[in-house]
Amino acid sequence: MLSIINISLKGIFRDRIFQGIMALAVLFLFIPSAASLSMRQATELSITLSLSLISFILLLLAVFLGATTIWKDIERRYTFSVISLPLSRTIYLIGRFFGIALFILITALFLGAVSLLVIKVSSSLYPPSRAIQWNSIIVAIFFDALKYIIIVAVAMLMATVGTSFFLPIFGAVSTFLAGTITQQVYDYLQSPSAQKVVSSVVRNAAQLLYYLLPNLSSFDLKVNAIYSIPLNPSGLSLTLLYFIAYTGILLMIASILFERREMK
Amino acid sequence: MRAINRPFLFLLIGIFGYGVVLGPFTAYMKHKPVEEKLGYVPSVNLLRYVCADQKEFVGAALLTKVMMYFGGLMDKHDPNVVTEMPDYLGMSNMIHNALKLDPYNMDGYYFAQSFLTWDVKQYVIANKLLDYGMKYRTWDWYLPFFAGFNHAFFLKDYKKAAEYYQRAGELSGDPLYFSLAGRYMQKSGQTDLAIIYLSMLEKGEKNQTVKKNYQIRLAAFKEVRRIELARDHYIKVGGSLPVTVDTLSRSGLLSPPPTDPYGGQFYIEADGKVTTTSKFAFSKAKSNNLKKSGEPDERD
Repeated sequence: MLSIINISLKGIFRDRIFQGIMALAVLFLFIPSAASLSMRQATELSITLSLSLISFILLLLAVFLGATTIWKDIERRYTFSVISLPLSRTIYLIGRFFGIALFILITALFLGAVSLLVIKVSSSLYPPSRAIQWNSIIVAIFFDALKYIIIVAVAMLMATVGTSFFLPIFGAVSTFLAGTITQQVYDYLQSPSAQKVVSSVVRNAAQLLYYLLPNLSSFDLKVNAIYSIPLNPSGLSLTLLYFIAYTGILLMIASILFERREMK
Repeated sequence: MRAINRPFLFLLIGIFGYGVVLGPFTAYMKHKPVEEKLGYVPSVNLLRYVCADQKEFVGAALLTKVMMYFGGLMDKHDPNVVTEMPDYLGMSNMIHNALKLDPYNMDGYYFAQSFLTWDVKQYVIANKLLDYGMKYRTWDWYLPFFAGFNHAFFLKDYKKAAEYYQRAGELSGDPLYFSLAGRYMQKSGQTDLAIIYLSMLEKGEKNQTVKKNYQIRLAAFKEVRRIELARDHYIKVGGSLPVTVDTLSRSGLLSPPPTDPYGGQFYIEADGKVTTTSKFAFSKAKSNNLKKSGEPDERD
């Protein structure tokens, strides 16, 4: 499996998609001057812009790499040579996943380091009214990376059944959008006003979706990082456990489907 | 040879066409109606779902849009001539939307406080927004400081003002706010308090357009304070209230004569209160703006 992870990583670094998306990182250079537009919270704005840019880059990488890796292997018939090796399809799939997941973490580490530098510059130019919680920023970036690793797993699951890259790409994007709002919808449906207006059938269907779709809002810690609001350690531990369980389930379903997939 | 020249020829035609269109296009964009420039923002209920995990970014982007729009309008005119009315209602809606997306964003509260009170006279809306912000920014003394000022200076609710200043004092640990709380309880020193308030905002402001607005307002209040001091001296010496500001100037108590930076004339009311015909706003901006928003002046 290690060799598959290694090959995946090397392949990604050579990929033009990766190079194109990483070119977006140049935008970090403009953050201190963009943050100066703020009247009262220039440093907070620089944290907002940095975290948003990291999130956007990771989303693009997760969707494109997660959706196209398996599809490309099948298209280029690399999978045939893999099947002939003494290696199960599950190991191949999991290896590919860990390769991309590791790459997402490495990218988050790199972009995180750049953003810390940018925030440091901004905070020295415009001292914030409240001390920056550097730990919260690092934790927020880490959990952002975990969120996009879930999206990679979703995209790979869809790639195992899709015959083109459309299903994994649009499926991953739709899951991402839905996953960021499931908690809000759930909270709304629990409110007394929704109990009166929304029928029980819709409420039950929404509740089912709430448990089926990934709850990505728990991974969003931007507010804590930007405004130095204390993090909840037990909440973070639960989110981490949720990540392990949910990603594990996705990968197991993906491997079952991939094992049964007919390769032509 | 012909095949090579043809794209080059089309490129030249394209550049020429671009040059021809650019002038009228720039002029069109420059004179585009204000509402179109500020733009339409979909319902915040929709935005909340569409912007996924980028709520803070979208909130900051909306606020930047409002500030750049306002800054662009203010930069166009010299301080005494208002050529184009800001769309205050549109600005207020956009700020409210931005703060629903990111209720922690201080820029929104700060900017809304500056124009909702002095320019649009919507003190209740401003205070509701500040109360909303206080639920989130629980550490921030600025919000109760603003709310306290609004209650005392505009709404004349001194009890409420004292409560907010007490809270600002507790959060900041600054004895100034405890003293302000005490003074508001006594309903005194209105002009001095306005000067303290504006000086504090002006000092910490780095946006040059907003800073300039504060400086103009501060200059007006300093002139009022000068007249008040001359008035008190006149009463002390003569035993009666001066009828006009001119009386004070002629008696040598007020030199040089006061100038209202908003272009109005200072006068003394029957109860001795010093005020100005400009009501501390550029007159054209004020009247048109109120018509535009369709909302009454809460102070009247």
